Amino acid sequence: MKLELQKGSRTRILAAAVLLIAAIFIGRLFYLQIIQHNHYVEAARAEQEKRFIIPASRGEIYAMNGEDPIRLVMNQTVYTVFADPATISEKDEIVKTLREVAGGNVRTGFEDLLDKDTRYEVLATKLTTVQRDKIKEKNFYGIGFQAVSQRVYPEGQLAGQVLGFVNAEGQGVYGLEGYMNDELSGTDGLLQAVTDVRDVPLTIGKDNIRVEPQDGKSPVLSIDRNVQAKVEQALAEGAEKTGATDVSAVVMDPNTGRVMAMANYPTYNPAEFNKVSDVALFNNNTISKPYEAGSVIKSFMMATAADKNVAHANDTFNNTDYIQVADRTISNAYKGVTGTITFQTAMQWSLNTGFVTLAQRLGDGQNITQGARQTMYEYYHDRFRLGQATGIQLANEASGRIISPDEEGGNAVRYSNMSFGQGMDVTMVQMASGFSALVNGGTYYQPTVINGYMTDDGMKAEAAKVLQDDVISDSTSAEVVEMLRTARQTGFPGIDKAGYLTGGKTGTSQVPTSTGYSETDTIGSYLGFGGSDRPEYVIIVQVSAEGKAYGGSTDAMPIFTDISNWMIDYLKLRPKS
Amino acid sequence: MSYQQNTYYSRRQQNWSRNQNTTRFVSAIKLGPVAHTILIALMITVLGLIYLTQATRTSGYGYEAQQIDEQISQLNEEKADLEIEKARLTALDTLKNSNVAREMTTPVSTEYVE
Repeated sequence: MKLELQKGSRTRILAAAVLLIAAIFIGRLFYLQIIQHNHYVEAARAEQEKRFIIPASRGEIYAMNGEDPIRLVMNQTVYTVFADPATISEKDEIVKTLREVAGGNVRTGFEDLLDKDTRYEVLATKLTTVQRDKIKEKNFYGIGFQAVSQRVYPEGQLAGQVLGFVNAEGQGVYGLEGYMNDELSGTDGLLQAVTDVRDVPLTIGKDNIRVEPQDGKSPVLSIDRNVQAKVEQALAEGAEKTGATDVSAVVMDPNTGRVMAMANYPTYNPAEFNKVSDVALFNNNTISKPYEAGSVIKSFMMATAADKNVAHANDTFNNTDYIQVADRTISNAYKGVTGTITFQTAMQWSLNTGFVTLAQRLGDGQNITQGARQTMYEYYHDRFRLGQATGIQLANEASGRIISPDEEGGNAVRYSNMSFGQGMDVTMVQMASGFSALVNGGTYYQPTVINGYMTDDGMKAEAAKVLQDDVISDSTSAEVVEMLRTARQTGFPGIDKAGYLTGGKTGTSQVPTSTGYSETDTIGSYLGFGGSDRPEYVIIVQVSAEGKAYGGSTDAMPIFTDISNWMIDYLKLRPKS
Repeated sequence: MSYQQNTYYSRRQQNWSRNQNTTRFVSAIKLGPVAHTILIALMITVLGLIYLTQATRTSGYGYEAQQIDEQISQLNEEKADLEIEKARLTALDTLKNSNVAREMTTPVSTEYVE
């Protein structure tokens, strides 16, 4: 039987209505699923897919402990405890637990924070994993934890100014942390994945991406923690004895350019950088505070003259304690050793006139000619690399300055002053590096604080980098070493361990002011070496304080001697054969 | 229930399929279109269930991986904490203040072995 609806019947109208509604549904579905397909796919993806940053671990920093690397800077995950005061229900129990577990890590007055009309309050910071677990066990509603990575310094403030620190924004500043920030930071990884409602990444999803993080490099410093600790102790004791407010020292291996210790007093603990009130404390004065070298430069001047074969240790000159250069009269600080004396004697008594004479002999014998100035500049600046940044791997290195003879100020008077260390700005690390070349036979090594990098297979050592191997000749080097040894042994007998090769030069630098030189302040310094058959370490020490006069032999040298005698034992050097 | 029996006598079967059944049973039951629809619907449902099971299992791997990641992370934290503790215990200040260090003395003289 054929079913036919009557025209205009209610059933027919109902059927038409159903068809119409079905057509509307189909039309709407067509619009949503076909026309708007891409839009909704994107919306769904935006809702379901999340991008997570997988943080890279900041590289650790190692130091040497004799032959073995040890950790000097490490990373630790610590936790910040926060509360949502609107949802907590066991306030008394939370307060009690935090007091018991977090102790000194809780914020002052954290109990009151729980009553605040906010949704986020930090209750305690820097909790260890163990502390976090103890609080987590209680399962408090409204209490959460946030993981934060922080730097840890097992050796406390040791080498603080070499290391620098990582600030609150996670950026390395000052020292090695500042210089190598990008390499230490590494590269964060990425996880893009479909997640569930709790943001747990799921393995479904064809667009999932996982890029593994690249952890930061872990440098191994050439700093030896034992030498560093000894130097820091010697500086603190030296400061106490002399009353100096600034004492600095560098210990370098002259045969590799590696810095074994680099310290300043006072210093700070990088773990508590936020407690430091004087930002000057963050500076590493051995690389960032240029000063006039003073009489320690006389060893460089002697090397220049000897290498140019214009004068040697036993050559003589007539000392009258005064010498005329252009319109200036230069005098000796120590007077009375007059007459015909050798340059060895001039070195021993640190007589300025002897070294001005050397500068003159580089010229025509009477004047510090343009040629003499060019020679001095070549040796000081180009060969010993004074007055220019060394490129040591530490932030904020200053360059200092040596004025070229081609510049307006590069006249004979300046160069006469430069022969005994005035009128030029250098840093301690420049002096130690140049002096290393002077005593090691004439090879200038790139000064470095990095021995290598730690890998999964242990330390991968970096080879010492030679920048120039003919700074001076072997014979010149040997001659100046002997001069400095003689000067020390005759001037200050009995202070060194017997049977070892030690030598050096004192320096007392005037402090330049806007109107000339300070009448009250002088910087005491000592630059020397020690070893057995050859120099095995170079030490430079500097002592100063505002408004006080310090001498190289009285204030800086005792610190050198203390460190030097200790180094002989530490390096297990045998007496000179 | 009735059935028909057909027997084939081809030489090929006799040679190659000696041990196979040589009897074919043909059911007398005839399924109508409704039954077919229901069967297809059931098959689709079963296939859907299988798909859902597999899809859920796949996402379950995500949770498993997440748990393992968390475990690794926790173990790494514990390892790092232990290493820090070790470093603190072997720090110079700690060693200097140890009983062993306190008992040490400076040698009076040193001899060198040739």
